[in-house]
Amino acid sequence: MDYAYYPGCSLTGSARRLDKGVRKVFRLLGHTLKDIPDWNCCGAFEYGDRKELTRLSGENLRKAKGMAREVIAPCPACSKNLKEANGDGDFRVYNPLDLFSKDFLSGLTIKRDLKGQVFTPYYGCVLLRPAETAIPNTSVMEEFVMNLGADVAGEKVKDRCCGGNRFFINKWATEKLSRMILEKSKGPILVFCPLCHMALTTFSGNERVVYFTDLILYVAGEEGTL
Amino acid sequence: MNEEQFKAIFELTGYRQQDFSVCLGCKICASVCTVNDLSPSVNPQDILLSLFLGHEVNSDHALVHYCTNCYRCTNACPWGIRIPEVIRALRESLALESTFERAFKGSLKIWGRVYEPYIFMKTGVFLLKEGYLKYMPKWTEYMSFHLPHGVRRLSSQGGPSDSKGRL
Repeated sequence: MDYAYYPGCSLTGSARRLDKGVRKVFRLLGHTLKDIPDWNCCGAFEYGDRKELTRLSGENLRKAKGMAREVIAPCPACSKNLKEANGDGDFRVYNPLDLFSKDFLSGLTIKRDLKGQVFTPYYGCVLLRPAETAIPNTSVMEEFVMNLGADVAGEKVKDRCCGGNRFFINKWATEKLSRMILEKSKGPILVFCPLCHMALTTFSGNERVVYFTDLILYVAGEEGTL
Repeated sequence: MNEEQFKAIFELTGYRQQDFSVCLGCKICASVCTVNDLSPSVNPQDILLSLFLGHEVNSDHALVHYCTNCYRCTNACPWGIRIPEVIRALRESLALESTFERAFKGSLKIWGRVYEPYIFMKTGVFLLKEGYLKYMPKWTEYMSFHLPHGVRRLSSQGGPSDSKGRL
């Protein structure tokens, strides 16, 4: 299947690992991601003006016209803004986590299991809230690892805020919030958000923070992903 | 907060003053607020009440400083009021932009995207003063230098513009 792909700013820089991972998972599943040409920033959370945010994402959707009806945006802030700008419009906007159900991933050849391992799936905020733009299955990562024989931990903190949004403003606030999540984690922390990845990694001790896509690629037999 | 700043909050969020009359004062927003872990007695509801009554909102309010846009309040609110967006509009109308936010918007004006090396350069003094550089060893996987995105400056219709429609 063909999807229009909106990488977003961080996936072309600090979160290029997530970008590579998403592209590879979709390729392994036989899908094609076609980059939206000349896309612009979605505005993330930096604008108080709702109209401005809608306009920025509306512009990206306009650029996606004629490419595909389905738009993929891996960064949770981008997918939220695009979903809101689209509303009930022409497109169907997805965060990859919207799609990564057992059925969708069944096309993968599983070459490794996760028996005896423990993971902490961590979603944070924007993937789960507000309800209008949230992912439909809020246990999608847990189901994936448990199906492969692993245990999960940290259920109580999976929807807490890491404070990543304030990281370059009040870092002590981010540090305090991130540490509360790190303390309750066990095994690698699975994330999907570039901001959560950075906040949790920055304040981690021995804990490892891993993009969920890298775990998918690991069980699909790819080397150097976990 | 002058009258213009007060009006701007409603213009920015798309809420009307009377929309906040539905707030029941249940304070469920306060009970779930992430900022509770950062500051004592946080109550988003008193911001809504102030705005409804036309009272001034103190720029020292903990939420104005620390709201993380986590939307726990919105999810819990019986009316789904988007309090983080009200706070963002408050910050904007009170011109409380941080160095980072200014750099972010600056990058959008030039390239239409966030160009991370530019943000790093623009916030360099802040990062140095505030002790961020000690985290550099943890950031090796994030660091890379790439040239600015090959996007053209966006038209005033397409790209981010200031209030006068200029880039």
